[in-house]
Amino acid sequence: MNGAKKIVLAEDNSMLSKLLKFKLEKEGYSLFIADNGKKTIELIEEHNPELILTDIMMPFVSGLEVISHVRNKLNLLTPIVVFSAAGQEQIVLKAFDLGATDFMSKPLSPNELVLRVKRLLS
Amino acid sequence: MNTYRFLIDYFNDSPTIIQATWIVIGLFSILILGLILYLKYLRGHLRKKESITVAYEQEYEAALITYLYAGNDEEEISSEQQAIIDLLKNGAKEPFKRKILIAVLLKLKNEISGEVAESIQNLYYQTELVDYALSRLSHKKWYVIAKGIRELKQFQIKEAYNPVIIHLNHPRPEVRKEMQLYMVNLFYFEGLTFLDLLETPLSEWDQIQLLEILQKLENQNISNITSWLQSSNDSVIIFALKLAKIYNQLEAKNEIIQLLHHINKKVRLEAIDVLSYLNVLEAKEILKTDLQKRSQEEQIAVFKMIENLYENDDESFIMKYIYDDLFEIKIIALKILKRINREKFCSLKRESSDDSFLRIVNFIENN
Repeated sequence: MNGAKKIVLAEDNSMLSKLLKFKLEKEGYSLFIADNGKKTIELIEEHNPELILTDIMMPFVSGLEVISHVRNKLNLLTPIVVFSAAGQEQIVLKAFDLGATDFMSKPLSPNELVLRVKRLLS
Repeated sequence: MNTYRFLIDYFNDSPTIIQATWIVIGLFSILILGLILYLKYLRGHLRKKESITVAYEQEYEAALITYLYAGNDEEEISSEQQAIIDLLKNGAKEPFKRKILIAVLLKLKNEISGEVAESIQNLYYQTELVDYALSRLSHKKWYVIAKGIRELKQFQIKEAYNPVIIHLNHPRPEVRKEMQLYMVNLFYFEGLTFLDLLETPLSEWDQIQLLEILQKLENQNISNITSWLQSSNDSVIIFALKLAKIYNQLEAKNEIIQLLHHINKKVRLEAIDVLSYLNVLEAKEILKTDLQKRSQEEQIAVFKMIENLYENDDESFIMKYIYDDLFEIKIIALKILKRINREKFCSLKRESSDDSFLRIVNFIENN
């Protein structure tokens, strides 16, 4: 696990985060889970992950603020994948303006997510 | 003992009003004390219930994750998965645990697609939760039926079509709404066939919800709407007109033209609007012939249609309305005249001496 690539997953749905953690850990990645934006920022600063997966809508600090913090305050180029629900197209565009790398719309396929993560971390 | 006696004597010697006041104070004190104790109990009970709920949620979440990844290629259901199914099936026998289990399944199902979503649906069958939901459909309480239909919709149980559609004309609008959403969410445009048999009104809000679902579909091939345009239920006709407009149902134009003479004014107005949107010129000619017999609202709607579909031949008809008493009609008639024959429009300024009319003409000329 020591050499495993680190991923911070920000998702307020505990079921979804458990499922994705299980799936991605099975693929050999090391996962750090946050259920709100504030905790996400703390985890990013603490672990300096290779990839960030974040939901757009989260309590306290939104996904957009997380992206803005990573790009503008921490000045990191870490790839960021955004999860969005139907009807959040405008927010996804804002996320890309702020520096998001990719997005996946919910309901999302865990298999597809694994493929994208592999591609971004290869 | 002396203090106690003193208090009794004091009470007995007091005037009646003081005695009554003490009695009221005593009663209220007992009441407040009782309420405080009850609230304390209630708070404790709710906290206990919440902590039990959280514990079961965590247990079921862990069981579900294990179930989803415990499969193997040799068996359809592995022994580990079967043990989880048995555990959940057992838990589902109690309504309290069943509610938590359903919430856990939905929490993941709504966020996930592909194989995992299919596995959750299979688990819904294997734990026999589907049977509990189906049994709700014959319950005597309306809200139990509505919740049952909603659950079947959320888990996309298409096999429940027959027991769900029998609630088509249920006296409670909440049940009807759930039935309609079930049909459209699971069967898309084909699900709209419930409109053939709908006798109760389809509210504006119901229509908006159905249209929203339909517009999200990838397949936008709408079924034939002509039978709904001829429905005896006016709300169904209005909904069909909205479908005709959104999905450009020009092939239904003859049926829509028939609706220009419908008994319900709202239907007639909606039909004028749709025909205008679909650019049906022959509807304009029909409306021009009987305009005077129509209500003011319809006359305005007809002029809005002509504004959209005007031709040079309309000039003589328009000229009759440039001095109309109805402000909206006068304005639209002048706007159309300006576009058809600008010279004639400009000549109006010379011919008229009415100040207010000239102000309108000047405004339209400059805008």
